[in-house]
Amino acid sequence: MAGILAPGLGVLAHLERLENQMSRSRKQSEEPQSVQAQERVLGTKIQKLRHLRDDLKAAVRHRRGSVKACIANVEPNRTVEVNEQEALEEKLENVKAVLQAYHFTGLSGKLTSRGVCVCINTAFEGNLLDSYFVDLVIQKPLRIHHHSVPVFIPLEEIAAKYLQTNIQHFLFSLCEYLNAYSGRKYQADRLQSDFAALLTGPLQRNPLCNLLSFTYKLDPGGQSFPFCARLLYKDLTATLPTDVTVTCQGGEALSTSWEEQRASHETLFCTKPLHQVFASFARREKLDMSLVS
Amino acid sequence: MDETVAEFIKRTILKIPMNELTTILKAWDFLSENQLQTVNFRQRKESVVQHLIHLCEEKRASLNDAALLDIIYTQFHQHQKVWDVFQMTKGPGEDVDLFDMKQFKNSFKKILQRALKNVTVSFRETEENAVWIRIAWGTQYTKPNQYKPTYVVYYSQTPYAFKSSSTLRRNTPLLGQALTVASKHHQIVKMDLRSRYLDSLKAIVFKQYNQTFETHNSTTPLQERSLGLDINMDSRIIHENIVEKERVQRITQETFGDYPQPQLEFAQYKLETKFKSDLNGSILAEREEPLRCLIKFSSPHLLEALKSLAPAALFSRIQKLLCYSASHSQGTQDLSSYVPLYTRC
Repeated sequence: MAGILAPGLGVLAHLERLENQMSRSRKQSEEPQSVQAQERVLGTKIQKLRHLRDDLKAAVRHRRGSVKACIANVEPNRTVEVNEQEALEEKLENVKAVLQAYHFTGLSGKLTSRGVCVCINTAFEGNLLDSYFVDLVIQKPLRIHHHSVPVFIPLEEIAAKYLQTNIQHFLFSLCEYLNAYSGRKYQADRLQSDFAALLTGPLQRNPLCNLLSFTYKLDPGGQSFPFCARLLYKDLTATLPTDVTVTCQGGEALSTSWEEQRASHETLFCTKPLHQVFASFARREKLDMSLVS
Repeated sequence: MDETVAEFIKRTILKIPMNELTTILKAWDFLSENQLQTVNFRQRKESVVQHLIHLCEEKRASLNDAALLDIIYTQFHQHQKVWDVFQMTKGPGEDVDLFDMKQFKNSFKKILQRALKNVTVSFRETEENAVWIRIAWGTQYTKPNQYKPTYVVYYSQTPYAFKSSSTLRRNTPLLGQALTVASKHHQIVKMDLRSRYLDSLKAIVFKQYNQTFETHNSTTPLQERSLGLDINMDSRIIHENIVEKERVQRITQETFGDYPQPQLEFAQYKLETKFKSDLNGSILAEREEPLRCLIKFSSPHLLEALKSLAPAALFSRIQKLLCYSASHSQGTQDLSSYVPLYTRC
């Protein structure tokens, strides 16, 4: 409207507008060109970079290949080293195992700076029990430096008899005493721990476990009289008692069946290890119970 | 409950420090859990004691119960007494020791009661095969004095017994006899060993002071030792000294071992030696007879002190000195083996 009202001004303005429009459209028609140019530039750059990447990849592959080839040349030696080391380790393990296995023979030792430290591993019925050490000084006269043998084992007596003249006999004798002590102790411990139900009072024992005194019932809670047993182990190198007395608490005159039982128990205690005798009592009890029910 | 028993229990409980009271009462096992729970241990001691005496009266504590409490108190406070060591010997050709605790107790009590009408004997067994015996002495005409008892700790199936030193020395022979006969020995002898520390006496007499042994399973301690040496050494010490120091440390280790030493406070040695002199015509060196002297060592912890002398290089001299005093020894010997020779702790 303004253009029609002011014809001169309107026309110039219109021309200006047209001019602007033309320059804008020209720019627009130019832009895709520069954009295209830019695109072209970037495109070539991308291609260059791709070429570079491929080259580098190829170079890396080449390097790796040559390194592998090197390793392949070296590898035969390295495997030999590894094998040697493994072999040595295996040998070491074997030796350690053998030394440990010596424990199962009951008598082993290790050389010390002044003599030898003897280790006595005691066992009873296939159970490995306590170990005791005697550290010997090899001098004239041969002497014991220190030891872990309990005070009530007659070590000094055995040493006085055999240490200077026959060391094998000394060690053998000491082994006998210690194994027997361990065996007796094992039996007493098993009785106390596994068969407490059959005992009617505490087990009386002494340090050497060579005098055991206890009362027991075959049927705990039942009506039978308890038995009193007294086991004497006069032979300190034995694990079975030398004297056994079984009496029946509560009645002087026993019926024949009780008397038979009492006598049989005496024989059992003399011939079988203590805990085994009680194990047979427990089995019999179970059997009786199962028969009754 | 007898008044004397009540008084005795009261005095015993009063001796017990408050922080030990519950432990000792539990060990005594005379008052039940329920009874103990009724006591307020946070009161003043006198009130606690009153309450405990009342509970003991309810349960009718006997003289034997009171004596047992006294034994437990003494077991907790062993160091308050000085202990002597006695060694028994069996006759030649005697049978194997079939020790029966019941028989021993009966026999021991009977012997004392037959000799002295008035005597209180109480026993308490411990886990390490030892029996604590408490004896309160009286005479034919007087009741036993509960406040000056003698304690004996006897390790069954060993020849050793430990007795608390007491002023009533006249009863010692009777006590010795009772112990010997009851334990089926022949003779009893007092050893030259005395200490407040029962554990140390045990370690010395039972030869249990070193319980580390070399086995194939243990790692060699040699490396560790030399490492310790390096750390402590002055950087200015040069090679020759290192060799000497290592030698000293090795000898110390061999002699004393790695274990804690028994606690000795006093050691006395008789020494007979001839005097050596470089000077010609020295009077002492010309003597025909050897010199006789008495050497006394004393320290709060003698063996540890001697052990620490080694780095100070005085040790070898003392070793030589002690070597002479034990006539049959040569070279380095385990020092502890000298101890029974004229030693008082």
